[in-house]
Amino acid sequence: MSGTELMDDAATRQEGALVASPEASDAATREGVAPGSRALAAWEIASVASSVVVAEWGVLALSSQKIMLAVPIACVFALMFYSHLLRGETPRELGWRVDNFIHASRLLLVPMITGALLLGLVGWLWFGGSFSFGKRRAGWEVLGFPVWGLAWGLLQQYVLQAFINRRAQLVLGKGVKSIVLVAAVFALLHLPNPWLTGATFLGGLLWAAVYQRAPNLYALALSHSFMTWALISTLPADALHSLRVGYKFFG
Amino acid sequence: MRDYSPFTTGDSRSTSADDSRPVHGSPTPARLSRLSHALIAKSLAEALFIVALAVYFSYTNFNRYFRGSVDTADGRVVTGWVVNEASPGERVEVHLYVNGHFVNRGVADAPRPDVFEAGRSLDAYHGFVFNLPPLPPGGTYEARVYAMHATSDPGRRTLQEFSEAKQFSLTADGVNSSAPEAWRESEGRR
Repeated sequence: MSGTELMDDAATRQEGALVASPEASDAATREGVAPGSRALAAWEIASVASSVVVAEWGVLALSSQKIMLAVPIACVFALMFYSHLLRGETPRELGWRVDNFIHASRLLLVPMITGALLLGLVGWLWFGGSFSFGKRRAGWEVLGFPVWGLAWGLLQQYVLQAFINRRAQLVLGKGVKSIVLVAAVFALLHLPNPWLTGATFLGGLLWAAVYQRAPNLYALALSHSFMTWALISTLPADALHSLRVGYKFFG
Repeated sequence: MRDYSPFTTGDSRSTSADDSRPVHGSPTPARLSRLSHALIAKSLAEALFIVALAVYFSYTNFNRYFRGSVDTADGRVVTGWVVNEASPGERVEVHLYVNGHFVNRGVADAPRPDVFEAGRSLDAYHGFVFNLPPLPPGGTYEARVYAMHATSDPGRRTLQEFSEAKQFSLTADGVNSSAPEAWRESEGRR
């Protein structure tokens, strides 16, 4: 049975019911059903994004105790896990898998090399080529960049792709619109850092597009980690404001 | 146009057949209703958290008990008094700004028996006197004095204004034109 047949079958099965998955959303859109489900998915995206905004702009402005960040972060993860549960999403569907790792990596390889070269060119032409290769970043001495970079990348890609991207597909369907939405949300959460906002928008486009073709969070996390390393290696820390975002950007 | 979906392309490089499963546990309306309840609960929880944090921030970062006055401001000195009514024996650190520029800081520990006699403090040493640096004549100036509040967070201190700003002007010959006539006469005799 082909994918198209499966989708048509799905649309038939859930006729008159609310739709949960991105795959079903396309079918639902065609059938003209489930506007409530799309609205709910949009609300989920807004809710997660607003929690991050609250953490970046509100909590850090009102308290210097980073432990306070645990509240919005806990709210976000509680919501995401509950939503996965209610929508019946399995870890494999979310991208916690290895069988499509090679496929996802192939999709990422050329854009990543191009992006890294582009960053090198920008660093050379704009900032005089003061390449640091990331050694000035905090955390390097403690765990080493690859460790924390990979863990941080995995966490961000999980939230961005396994949740926001999938909900964006429910709202807008697969393709350019949902990819741009994911990238825009990702960039928005890196304001007001200008270089980081631009870089995350471009990175967000790439990762969202690849996830829609081959949902593999491990490959995306590796890519995220590598591109972050490329970014901080080629652009000076001053220009990147040490990757600070939100309220901390000013401090 | 390339289809981004691994579910409908039939791309040979696409993921396994299991990827193509289009519906994974379509939630019932009841489940979606629970999800919307969860979203509402999360919004409320975060709103309450931010309100609590803002109240805590206000409570810990600002002191509502500073009382005082900037009595005099002319071309040479700025004087006044300030008391922390929450701790009336404490000497308050004060910062002087003129036209928005930091000038100096000090501790309000100068004798002010009138403040003590008025029952505002536990002792008579809550006054401050700032000597101003030479200011360009022919201008109007605004002096503001702030009490410094050290919060429980060692990384944060707040400046709080406890009195109206005092304005004064200096004439072209450097005399404070807003000062009483007697002062101006004595200034002229110098």
